[in-house]
Amino acid sequence: MSAGRWLRLALAALILPVVLIGCSRPNSSTEIRFAIAQAPLTLDPRYATDAASERVNRLIYRPLVDFDVHFRPVPALANWQCRDALHCRFKLGTEGREFHNGTRLTSLDVVATYRSLLALKNSPHTAEFANIAEVAAADENTIDFTLKAPDAQFPARLVVGILPAALIAQNHDFARHPVGSGPLRCVEWNRALRLERISDRQRIVLEEVRDPTVRVLKMLRHETDLVQGDLPPELVAYLRSQPSVQVKEVPGANYSYLGFNLQDSLLRDPRVRRAVTLAIDRDTIVRQALVGGSRPATAILPPEHWAGNAQLPPYPYDPEQARSLLQQAGVPLPLKLIYKTSTDAQRVRLATILQAQMRPAGIDLEIRSLDWGTFFDDVKHGKFQLYGLTWVGIKTPEIYRLAFHSQSVPPAGANRGRMQDAELDGLIARQNWQAATERIHALLPYAPLWYEGQFAAMNRNVTDYAPASDGNWDGLVRISKNIAEFEN
Amino acid sequence: MLFKRLVGILPVVFGVLVLTFLLVHLVPGDPVEVMLGESATSADRSVLRAELGLDKPLPLQFADYLTKLIHGDFGVSIHSHAPIAGLLAERIPATARLALLSLVIALAIGLPLGIAAALHYRRWPDRAATLSALTLSAMPHFWLGPLLMLVFALWLGWLPVSGMENDASIVLPALTLASGLAAILTRMTRASLLEVLDEDFVRTARAKGLPERTVILRHAMKAALLPVVTVVGLQLGSLLAGAVITETVFGWEGVGRLLVESIEKRDYPVTQACVLAIALTYVLVNLLTDLLYSRLDPRVRFNA
Repeated sequence: MSAGRWLRLALAALILPVVLIGCSRPNSSTEIRFAIAQAPLTLDPRYATDAASERVNRLIYRPLVDFDVHFRPVPALANWQCRDALHCRFKLGTEGREFHNGTRLTSLDVVATYRSLLALKNSPHTAEFANIAEVAAADENTIDFTLKAPDAQFPARLVVGILPAALIAQNHDFARHPVGSGPLRCVEWNRALRLERISDRQRIVLEEVRDPTVRVLKMLRHETDLVQGDLPPELVAYLRSQPSVQVKEVPGANYSYLGFNLQDSLLRDPRVRRAVTLAIDRDTIVRQALVGGSRPATAILPPEHWAGNAQLPPYPYDPEQARSLLQQAGVPLPLKLIYKTSTDAQRVRLATILQAQMRPAGIDLEIRSLDWGTFFDDVKHGKFQLYGLTWVGIKTPEIYRLAFHSQSVPPAGANRGRMQDAELDGLIARQNWQAATERIHALLPYAPLWYEGQFAAMNRNVTDYAPASDGNWDGLVRISKNIAEFEN
Repeated sequence: MLFKRLVGILPVVFGVLVLTFLLVHLVPGDPVEVMLGESATSADRSVLRAELGLDKPLPLQFADYLTKLIHGDFGVSIHSHAPIAGLLAERIPATARLALLSLVIALAIGLPLGIAAALHYRRWPDRAATLSALTLSAMPHFWLGPLLMLVFALWLGWLPVSGMENDASIVLPALTLASGLAAILTRMTRASLLEVLDEDFVRTARAKGLPERTVILRHAMKAALLPVVTVVGLQLGSLLAGAVITETVFGWEGVGRLLVESIEKRDYPVTQACVLAIALTYVLVNLLTDLLYSRLDPRVRFNA
């Protein structure tokens, strides 16, 4: 047999499976397909902590309380009145009162949900509700909460979706088979999560596609209708240049920061922390290396938040001043610091930009890129000098207690840099958020970086969807798809 | 003798169990902290740690794990609470399908290319085949995968980009996974056939006036395939390891992807079960290869 025949045989083996199986058609169904970077871990709101689970659970379940655009707590299922600092009464409204299994949502379901939360041993939310002394139903529509200690933020905590009491009693597997009263119901969760909108029976399919490039390719081939967030800026720019795709961007509210270890012999000096903060050119990074809608940050809560502080002055990029501060602190230059981050490509790229920006200030930044589990474990155990992370979906100023109060050092909280400041503790205890943010801005336990913009890319035939500032997927309640336009 | 070989597997499996258990427990990251987050109290953590048996000394935890395993109990996932045996039963067929199709594609590409190269030694078909093999083996799966997607899904529109929605979905991950093995098989077949073509029995066959096709296919290839069989057996394990990356890139719901997810979530029991499943497959495939080898070559016997 000639060489040509053998080679043709090999080529046929390469092409044959492709041709035999034939041409596959891109998605032209009425379903709206949404490619997400990470599938939800659980659809039981009592256990969910990851962003994907919380975003889906917001759609399947309804909580007692939600937030407005200024992050103020507003009624969702119920409005409320607090008689005093220890007693709050919630009255259920008329909307969202029917569970997806057809039963009516009553005060007993609310009571059962919160009692089960208090009783669970392995829920990450149990500790948040430890202040509840009693929850009881006064009548079919009224629930009374009694607290152990005064808590002005209490209503804002009641954002967990309500589950049917009867199913809680049966130990129903909400994690895989959720039953809520939200605008979307779960049809099936096998490989993809198939949801159906209650109002018009529109099907929405959430499919995990981990690789950002693959998500973009699926978008271009119309295998998916929508992608949101989790793409590097160059892929967003590429999508924007595609005629079949529309990209929508909104200012973000998720706060990225560089955390300092305040127990480190060098970084415990505020002049050194200030020098590092002044050695970062946020404006350039926001303009050149982040997606549209990103903006420099000064505090965890954005200025539009009711507890935000728009008066905080941004730290400028001033490597000269940074260098002179380091010299004042008696630090030999170049100052060697280790910066820990995850293996995410965009995080590593941002780390290399920080490294280059800090060099003129006399800071030699060594980047350590670690797998997520190791990285986060190091951060919680204080095994770092500098690290980079983002707070996602923060709604209440309680974050300042969790992140900076001296009693919140891990494992009791998220004071990972081991901040110990009696004055700040007092401000947090008095809930004087304006003064607390000023104090944090001056002490610099974090070097504030930016609020990363949010974007959604969708096919031209998709309408009525806009991304949210915290990256939630609430737009799925309104989204629609024009099939005729696609087929033309 | 076969019984002896089977018994010989046990220390290997035990070694895998010990190593996996130790590695999984020694890497940083605590499943209790992953589950409870940062606002849980120390008391909550202690209760959950005790409930999961993570408060016991490591040797005791290992003994518990081993006892359950002997009774066929892989345990449950720390996160989803789903029985791990069920998770594996769902995922193993998907990975097996992918690995087998990859093997078939690799054989279908590697053998003809290798034969063409050997028959036309140092001429253009040989150079083309060698270059193709080197190029294929130099391409990492996480790069080749998106490249194939770009060509076959986006430009040609023949196949879906990723997922498991229809039968066509398996083609691109299988091609990606097959690339490395196809390259090895090409080079192995070429080298092996070149060696055999110089043997006396081939010369005799040609001298007898047999057609070249018969000389190559019935005489030379029979002998040349022996080392190829060994390589295929050994490389099946690599296919499973390669599936970890390929399944993640293509969204293929197999054991590889389950393993990656479990490592990220520090879901110890699932990680251990996945590694054990992959190791067992590797050991069994090697045993099968040995058995097949002894069938193909009567000179090889276990008691030899």
